[in-house]
Amino acid sequence: MKRRQQGILTGMPFMANITPRTFVDDAGRNIYIAKAPARVVSLAPSITEMLFALGLDEDIAGVTEFCNYPPAALTKPKVGYARPNLESLLALKPDFVVAPQEFLRAEILAKLDELKIPVFLLEAKTVEDILVQIQNLGKIFNRTPVSDRLTKAMRERISEISGRVAASGKRRVLYVLNSHPLITVGPGSYIHQMIGLAGGLNIASGTPMPYPRLSMETVLGEDPEVLIFPVGSLEGIPKSEQQEWNRWNGLSAVRHRQFRDVSSDALNRPGPRIVEGLELLARAIHPEAFADDPVMTRP
Amino acid sequence: MMPTLSHPPSSQPTHMVQASNTVPRSQEIDHHTFQQSTLTTKRWLTIIIFLSAVSVATVVLCLQFGTQYIGLGEMFGIIWRTITSFPGTADSDVTATILMQVRLPRVLLGFLAGASLAAIGVTLQALLRNALADPYVLGVSSGAALGVSVAVLFGVGTTILSVSALPLCGFLGSLMALAVIYRMAVSYDRLPIHSVLLAGVILNAIFSALIMFITSILDPNRSFGMMAWLMGSLTAPALPALSVFSLYVLLGLFLLLRHVGVLNLMAFGEDAARSLGIDTERVKRNLLLLSALMTGAVVSFSGMIGFIGMVIPHAVRMVFGADHRLLMPASVLIGGAFLTVADTLARTYAAPSELPVGIVTALAGGPFFVYLLVWRKDRMS
Repeated sequence: MKRRQQGILTGMPFMANITPRTFVDDAGRNIYIAKAPARVVSLAPSITEMLFALGLDEDIAGVTEFCNYPPAALTKPKVGYARPNLESLLALKPDFVVAPQEFLRAEILAKLDELKIPVFLLEAKTVEDILVQIQNLGKIFNRTPVSDRLTKAMRERISEISGRVAASGKRRVLYVLNSHPLITVGPGSYIHQMIGLAGGLNIASGTPMPYPRLSMETVLGEDPEVLIFPVGSLEGIPKSEQQEWNRWNGLSAVRHRQFRDVSSDALNRPGPRIVEGLELLARAIHPEAFADDPVMTRP
Repeated sequence: MMPTLSHPPSSQPTHMVQASNTVPRSQEIDHHTFQQSTLTTKRWLTIIIFLSAVSVATVVLCLQFGTQYIGLGEMFGIIWRTITSFPGTADSDVTATILMQVRLPRVLLGFLAGASLAAIGVTLQALLRNALADPYVLGVSSGAALGVSVAVLFGVGTTILSVSALPLCGFLGSLMALAVIYRMAVSYDRLPIHSVLLAGVILNAIFSALIMFITSILDPNRSFGMMAWLMGSLTAPALPALSVFSLYVLLGLFLLLRHVGVLNLMAFGEDAARSLGIDTERVKRNLLLLSALMTGAVVSFSGMIGFIGMVIPHAVRMVFGADHRLLMPASVLIGGAFLTVADTLARTYAAPSELPVGIVTALAGGPFFVYLLVWRKDRMS
């Protein structure tokens, strides 16, 4: 809640007590960055995608071993994701580190603070958070024209997609993040919000958590019409595991064979590609809205 | 024919520790001799019938609660309709589906898993004469967990007979751990208790390290799901899997129950047991294997649910005494009922989301156990 207020406040002119080069990250920390960083290390695939999208190819000094997009990321030096190796991180001589708040270990953060390497923590709870993060990074790297253009294009595409499916009405959706035990997305996660934007009604809306374990009783009671399985190179629900859902033949989604694969890379990474993820999600939930448009509108 | 036994001191160390501080030793032995001598058929029957009734009532009650409450009449109506209808013509009503396909399998799994964990705990505590022995001490459970972790690492999601492959991988992992234990059991002419314990602890350490290793190289998104499994979760199993599991575990429970007399002797001391004509090495090997095989199955289906195997036998011993003829069946019934209740809390407390049942067992059972400890101490002094 506190973080969301800051997201709103960052754009407000009355924060004059903060110098223009001081930035507030998603953990609420004030970070002063005198000039645009020249050697940045990204500690999450989503962050790597944001940095590349801002055209910072030359400034990226290191990425994680899970960063596989854009292809240029594969050639960058690698550091760990949740447990980055501090030595290999320091060997890259970063003057700026961008990290996901939920996965970065506290002692790594403490050590980087001690070494006076600024760390900017990101955490996306809503789609708007992701857009704000891109704009913040644009300001930090003096790339506001690029970030403004990017976020504007993302906003336009989001409203275009949600406009397309708006007429179709809401369909009940279950997003299967993990089958054993069943883990899904709930309010407080941006994917939950994206399901809504894509014309879906998340059946886990009643849970208080962003990534709840959902009871099968709830699933049967709420009766999803579409099952979404994120599928990707690194993670995802394989087809054979999807077949297990066939035993719940009381579900509308099973009776009407509404099992849909969505690229987990595009959807599970809170970066610039979520608009692609949103379109995939919208196509999965409302294929009829895209019937006359079988190809992706943009790459 | 069961020889009359005085209480075997080593099988009840928690008692000994607290008792030695408060009461003279002779008094303690008197206390237990008294309990021992009072295990008449009448007392046994009374307690077992009472506990069975409590267990049945618990199961019925737990079947009623969930995301929606199902009244008694409706519940038995649905069960009756399912029994009397032709197989295959399943009830299409949502409440019926929830009751018959989600809640009933889950409650059965919970009861059997809890009963097994408690029975294995009783067996191992008697066999290893160690108060801290529990089903996980053999390293079998972490073997099962490792099996599942490896399956997740290599993206094994295949189904066999429409049953998830994860329990199977877990069971293979536990068999691997079992092979090590068995190898020890046959390579030593006589199997020293402390080597079993030591090997179990070391196996646990190695397997836990491997699990940690796998967790650390996995994408956090995927290790998230794996960690959730490790924390213990009873998810409704498919009917074929549940039938296999039930038959397997019931056979194991039956075999363990048949050994209560031998366990009494073993807990008394191996030398004493041997002098009474018991082939202690064979008993140890058979019961260790049986415990390991059962632990593997339980962990494969329900993840790592700690606490029950260690604490339920102690709690039951405090209330009903240390005679395994009563301790074993009472632990089976109470262990089963306890896990059923814990799982009902886990799936209703934060509904529609669920809590990991391992957390509930420890949080709900721990304080009660401490209370029992204190209460017993007061009563004895």
